Amino acid sequence: MTAKDKRHKEVIKKIKLLMSDVAEDLMVERIMPVLDVPKVGYDNTVWSEEKRMLTIGTKTVQISPDSTKKIPTFSQYLVMANAIRRLLDEEMESTIRGMYYATLTSVGDDERNRQKFWNSQENSDDAIKAIELLTSVPREEFSVTSKPKGMISGPITLRVGGDIIDCNLGSRATSQLIPTNIRDVEIVDVKADFVMVVEKDTVLNNIRKSGFIQKYNAILMTGSGEPDRATRMMAKTLNKEWRKPIVIFADADPWGLGIALRYKIGSESLSYDSDRLVCTNAQVLGMTFSDIYDYNIPKVARLDASEEDINRANDMKKKPWLKDKQWQKELNIFIQRKEKCELDAFFKHGFRFLAETYLPQKLRAVGLI
Amino acid sequence: MKTSVEIAAGIRAKSTENTTSVATIPIGGYGRTKVRYDKKAESEFFVDNSALAGFTGERILYMAVRELIENALDSCEINHILPRISLSLKLLDETNGMWLISCEDNGIGIPSDKIPVAVCSFLTSGKYVEKQQRGLFGVGLKMIAAFSTKDTDHPLRIWSKSREEGSEYYFELRTDIGTNKPIIITKKMQRGEDLYFNGESGFKIEAVLRARLSPITKNKIYDYVSHTSIVNPYAVLVFQTDEGEVSFDRRTTVMPEPAKEVLPHPADMDLKTLKKAIVNFMHQKTTLHGVLCNSFQKLSGGKAKEIISKANVAIKTADKYDEHELIKVVNVCKQTRFHAPNTDHLSPIGEQILTAGMTSEYTIVANKSENDKQIQSRLSIKVLKPTLTEYSSRTCVVNNRPTVVECGIAYGGDISSFKLFRFANKIPLLYDEGSDVARETVSEVEINKMGISKKEVKEQFTGAGNRSDRAVEFLPIHIFFHICSTKIPYKTAGKESIASEGELKRYMKACLAELYRKVSAQIRKELRMKEAESRLRLYKHYIPLIISAISESIKVDPQKLSEAFSQLAENHVLGVAVSEKNDKITGQRIEQEAEKSILLNKKKARHISNSIRSKEIGAGHSNRNVAKKNIEKLDFRKRDQTTLDVFNRRGRKK
Repeated sequence: MTAKDKRHKEVIKKIKLLMSDVAEDLMVERIMPVLDVPKVGYDNTVWSEEKRMLTIGTKTVQISPDSTKKIPTFSQYLVMANAIRRLLDEEMESTIRGMYYATLTSVGDDERNRQKFWNSQENSDDAIKAIELLTSVPREEFSVTSKPKGMISGPITLRVGGDIIDCNLGSRATSQLIPTNIRDVEIVDVKADFVMVVEKDTVLNNIRKSGFIQKYNAILMTGSGEPDRATRMMAKTLNKEWRKPIVIFADADPWGLGIALRYKIGSESLSYDSDRLVCTNAQVLGMTFSDIYDYNIPKVARLDASEEDINRANDMKKKPWLKDKQWQKELNIFIQRKEKCELDAFFKHGFRFLAETYLPQKLRAVGLI
Repeated sequence: MKTSVEIAAGIRAKSTENTTSVATIPIGGYGRTKVRYDKKAESEFFVDNSALAGFTGERILYMAVRELIENALDSCEINHILPRISLSLKLLDETNGMWLISCEDNGIGIPSDKIPVAVCSFLTSGKYVEKQQRGLFGVGLKMIAAFSTKDTDHPLRIWSKSREEGSEYYFELRTDIGTNKPIIITKKMQRGEDLYFNGESGFKIEAVLRARLSPITKNKIYDYVSHTSIVNPYAVLVFQTDEGEVSFDRRTTVMPEPAKEVLPHPADMDLKTLKKAIVNFMHQKTTLHGVLCNSFQKLSGGKAKEIISKANVAIKTADKYDEHELIKVVNVCKQTRFHAPNTDHLSPIGEQILTAGMTSEYTIVANKSENDKQIQSRLSIKVLKPTLTEYSSRTCVVNNRPTVVECGIAYGGDISSFKLFRFANKIPLLYDEGSDVARETVSEVEINKMGISKKEVKEQFTGAGNRSDRAVEFLPIHIFFHICSTKIPYKTAGKESIASEGELKRYMKACLAELYRKVSAQIRKELRMKEAESRLRLYKHYIPLIISAISESIKVDPQKLSEAFSQLAENHVLGVAVSEKNDKITGQRIEQEAEKSILLNKKKARHISNSIRSKEIGAGHSNRNVAKKNIEKLDFRKRDQTTLDVFNRRGRKK
């Protein structure tokens, strides 16, 4: 069976190139092959002032079977590359967990030496990531996806495969999951004026139910905590291609701020893909630490900050992307008062307060409505 | 030896004649209670406090075996006779736990008139002299006799042919525990067919003891016999039990130099030793100066004069001094520096003998076989031959007594795991290893003295269920410590573990560190080999996965690819092993690594130049697109258009 899709063919070509390179090293050059994989992680993440986003640095990791420690990794990468090639050849798609199972095997002959090929799915996820880096092709092009997590509601029409999905679901009762097989997703039409991203699905449900979408002609999105690639890419596309302003609301604590910043500046673990995932002109509107006091969140609804929170806030204060006065002030408030707060805390003021008072006030302040 | 037996026996005879005296004392105002002051016979004391001599319930048979073997070896070595010892331990009466123990040797024997006291009377010994011997106290054999008398109605049976007499005697003896005196049941001179010994001399003792024998104690007895054979490879040892007979061959005819009796060292002088020395010269009207010179080692005439003048005592005949004056002399001696004591009275095992013992290490193995639903075990001997042995020793002074520390290491070969062997005056120590100074020494000397790291050792020598923290215990290594001195700093009366006293541990550590250095080359070599093996194994396991991944993806001969990879891996592993073998100079390795990286860079450079060439020619594809890939690698953020417009490709068209 061979792939028909032209882009699939291109990916397969790249994987074959990788394989033939290794084979050539072994048979012709008679040297140990080396895979030069760009390093992913905090120590190879660079803040680009020009792009206003986190980008990957120049460090690479040499994966070669010349060292005992790296033989397993080396073979894992090649086995994964081959599995991806097979997946594309068969014109199928798989989740990352599916890839883990597809490549599962045991290594070694006797009982004592036998070991697992993968220690956990984490290893196979890393291998997929390495193939992304080695071929410069994003995971979605491999037809390898993860479980959908992000949600979207509002006047936007998607086509997934051949099916048209109108996310302006009239009943206000449900949201559409953002499909992770982005290759098959296309945005047909967007009628909204702006896109509002919130941290959690519970908050999204509340806002949707209040009729916010209809009243302000907005698209609501959430990544349900840490946003996956599909959610981030959806926001990016809406911003860049459809010119829709993006506003973000997350909990008033360092973790919530961290999640909001994923959309705005990117993350360390996906720094190599920032170009595709980050919308730099998104605005993080809330919930700010000063909102806790400006909106009189009662004491019972506030949470005490842990030491870890404070450390994280101190770290954040030093980050170049939080250097403007506004954020420095906010972080100082947090460090001084040591209190954090969830968006859900607004429910203490009534179930409609968040959607009908807080959010409109915030949006009005930046002139969006 | 003869004289001291006589003296000791004489003194004992006198003291045991003492009668009990009764006295009454008033206590408080609450009436009168009689307190009896009794004189206890030595025998009674030791039977009541048998733990003092190590004879506690479980260990009776172990101690009996131990005492008998020690006596037998001492008796041979004193006259440089190559020992031939046969020991037997058999169950006589299972219901009552009666054991028949017997031990026979070809030593010098005991003259017939001394046998009863030598066997039965406590604190009677030929060994009360300043030299290293196994037994010292004159208690062990008597303990066997007393226990046999106490618990059974069997007499001790003894056959003895002493060198002095030349004729053979047979005795049946029991101990009068109340008076510490022997009871002679039978004494006869053997003639004609009754003669037991063929050789010039010999001694055999047979006793019945009531005891329990737990499997643990049984193994300790086996260990004891095996360990004894390691430090006495010049002895033939035959050991008979209900589980079979094992025999330890003689592996060398070299015997250690017998210890010589020496004078005490003046640094070790106290009032008692000084007075004893004076008493010895009682009838000769000697001066104190003379007594000092003749009764202590390393004490010259000048030194004696100096001591006497420093002590500021009048010059008179030695026996005229009172204790106040003598203590001054002792005090001066304590503050004076003398030459180190000589070690003539010590009898270390020596390199030759210990090496002989280590190179063919005999151990008793109990082979279990199931027979008619009963588990039977048969004894057999296993000879462990290590790949290398090393020996080192130090002479030092501990507690003013000269002490010789000997240490041996046997590594690899048939030896499969770590074991520590401890000996004191050639006696194996089997109990209380945890609190012994040897154990402390082993855990305090780091194995990095061998030029290997803990991590390496743990990686390569795992298995065998070893869960120890100490890296050395992963190595297939046997460590032997022998400490000999006339006064071993035992921790307990049972003489089973040695305390870390004075500088003893420092010397032991020095010995061990020296040995570690000596064996390091071999261990490192083996470690490298093991590493290479496990690496090759790893390649063997992973290569097929890699080959199949490649050969499924591109057209390539999997056979040839696999061969090429295996060959490469083998060269690589062996190459590394070779380069690390002679990497005493780190500079060499750095150079090699530099060369390697140059090679790598060259390869990369070649690829890039290839790519440029191929671009020029415009045949990038035929050149396996190496060029393209490399360029992409260099700046992979410059991705192609496909990625960004996933969502909106068609949407934008609209």
